[in-house]
Amino acid sequence: MNTFKLYIRSMGMLLRSHLQYPSSFLLQTLAQLVMEGGEMLMVILVVDRFETLGHWSGGNLFFFFGMMSVSFYLTEFFGRGVTGDFPSMVRSGRLDTFLVRPRGILTQVLCGGMDPRRITCIAVGAASLILGSRLSAVVWTPLKVLALAESILMGCLLILGLFLIEACFCIHSVKSVELVNALTYGGRSACQYPIDIYPHPLRILFSTVAPFALTLHVPAAYILGSPLYGWPLWTVYVTPLSGALIFAIMTAVFHRGIRYYRSTGS
Amino acid sequence: MRAYLTVFRMRLRMELQYRGAMIGGILCQMFFGIVLVALYRALYAGHPQSVPIAHVTTYVWLQQAFFRMMLATDPDLLDKIRTGDISYDLCRPVDLYGFYYARIGAQKLMGSLMRGIPMLVVAALLPYGWGILPPASPAALFAALAALLLGLLCMCALENITMAFTMRTLDPRGIQSMLNLLMVTFSGNLLPLTLFPDSWQRVIRLLPYAQLLDAPIRLYTGDAPLSEALWILTAQGIWATVLILLGMALWNANRKRMILQGG
Repeated sequence: MNTFKLYIRSMGMLLRSHLQYPSSFLLQTLAQLVMEGGEMLMVILVVDRFETLGHWSGGNLFFFFGMMSVSFYLTEFFGRGVTGDFPSMVRSGRLDTFLVRPRGILTQVLCGGMDPRRITCIAVGAASLILGSRLSAVVWTPLKVLALAESILMGCLLILGLFLIEACFCIHSVKSVELVNALTYGGRSACQYPIDIYPHPLRILFSTVAPFALTLHVPAAYILGSPLYGWPLWTVYVTPLSGALIFAIMTAVFHRGIRYYRSTGS
Repeated sequence: MRAYLTVFRMRLRMELQYRGAMIGGILCQMFFGIVLVALYRALYAGHPQSVPIAHVTTYVWLQQAFFRMMLATDPDLLDKIRTGDISYDLCRPVDLYGFYYARIGAQKLMGSLMRGIPMLVVAALLPYGWGILPPASPAALFAALAALLLGLLCMCALENITMAFTMRTLDPRGIQSMLNLLMVTFSGNLLPLTLFPDSWQRVIRLLPYAQLLDAPIRLYTGDAPLSEALWILTAQGIWATVLILLGMALWNANRKRMILQGG
């Protein structure tokens, strides 16, 4: 069985296992809806009070928020093994069992977790995207759809890559490191608003170390009809690849790091 | 009473132990603070509001500094509920509610002071419009400190109410995430209450969540004038009493129908 098929199979099994307790699943999914709805409410309140942010209209802000929400929660949905379960895999010694199996470790970690409750968060994000595109009167063209799809995919890879940083620390020190949250969750909070409203140090951070600006904001700004920093069209399709780059770098670091993995023992 | 004070003191010392995790936590919290301040500055750039930006940044820093006070639960108690070890606590010659109230009080107080004070020092060094303002007046500072203390009492009471529900359902995730959402939204952590629509503010200010940090912060910045201080403190006091009584009633009811886990 090739890796991709294996992954799809695992997702199917995990989904069925989550659905074993339907009422608990439903309640937790609703809780997620309320939580992400609350996040969106904040954007609504901000738009209600301030109307615009720099040269971005309220509709644009909903679009940016939707881009971030959809990418972040898609990652949590399908990559829960990396974004959430990894520290407990190390602590409980579950990672040890992965080491003896004839498959890649990252594959197994990814196959080991999913979080279908996030479906409602993705729905809120998608609603915000649609609302934003309506309010901003976006005229959709095939090129724009391609930009959106690429951007969200690359955004997911970027977020996975950033969570892998935490995973690497975790291999090293067993405990998860709170500071990395500044990049992952901090990046989500900061970059649900367009990057060019922030002062330069933050812009540089979110364009290099955690390039949310390159993967999400450059295409989003193009779709909304006011290219970020006035950059030319080709950048819209090239800069998001930085997400894949970060993911590739972190995968390599992760595989190096795993060589130094010492089991917690039990 | 002495027993509860001892529990409180022991827990204070316990909190002092984890200094490494604390530094990471502070840096992370500061980062969130800076991002929020940058965002509000950008929002204010085109649309000045009745509340000056320096008050909003002060609000953000105080919220971030005392964040720990809001979202800190007693991990031991959760474990005890799940494993059934809470039965040992039932044998103690102290009131269960008071015992855990003292514990969570110490945890929240020490946890937030240890994180909050270094953060406030750094925030005070930031330039005007980025950092935290000094209190409106010495009297405002005292009023704010008194309000913070009452806020802490409310917070511990709220925490124990959440725990009462956990004792019934055993799974803290559902109820906890809902209550936490209410808390971060209506306490002004996600968005300062001063920036909520004006018509909402009048209602939100009456909720218990506004008593936690919003009331002390408004006294500190002077958004709430000293003439209102007495009224604010009274409202907090009433809420603290109501929440504590409600929590005690729930805990006592739980005690009568408690089914212990484990075996």
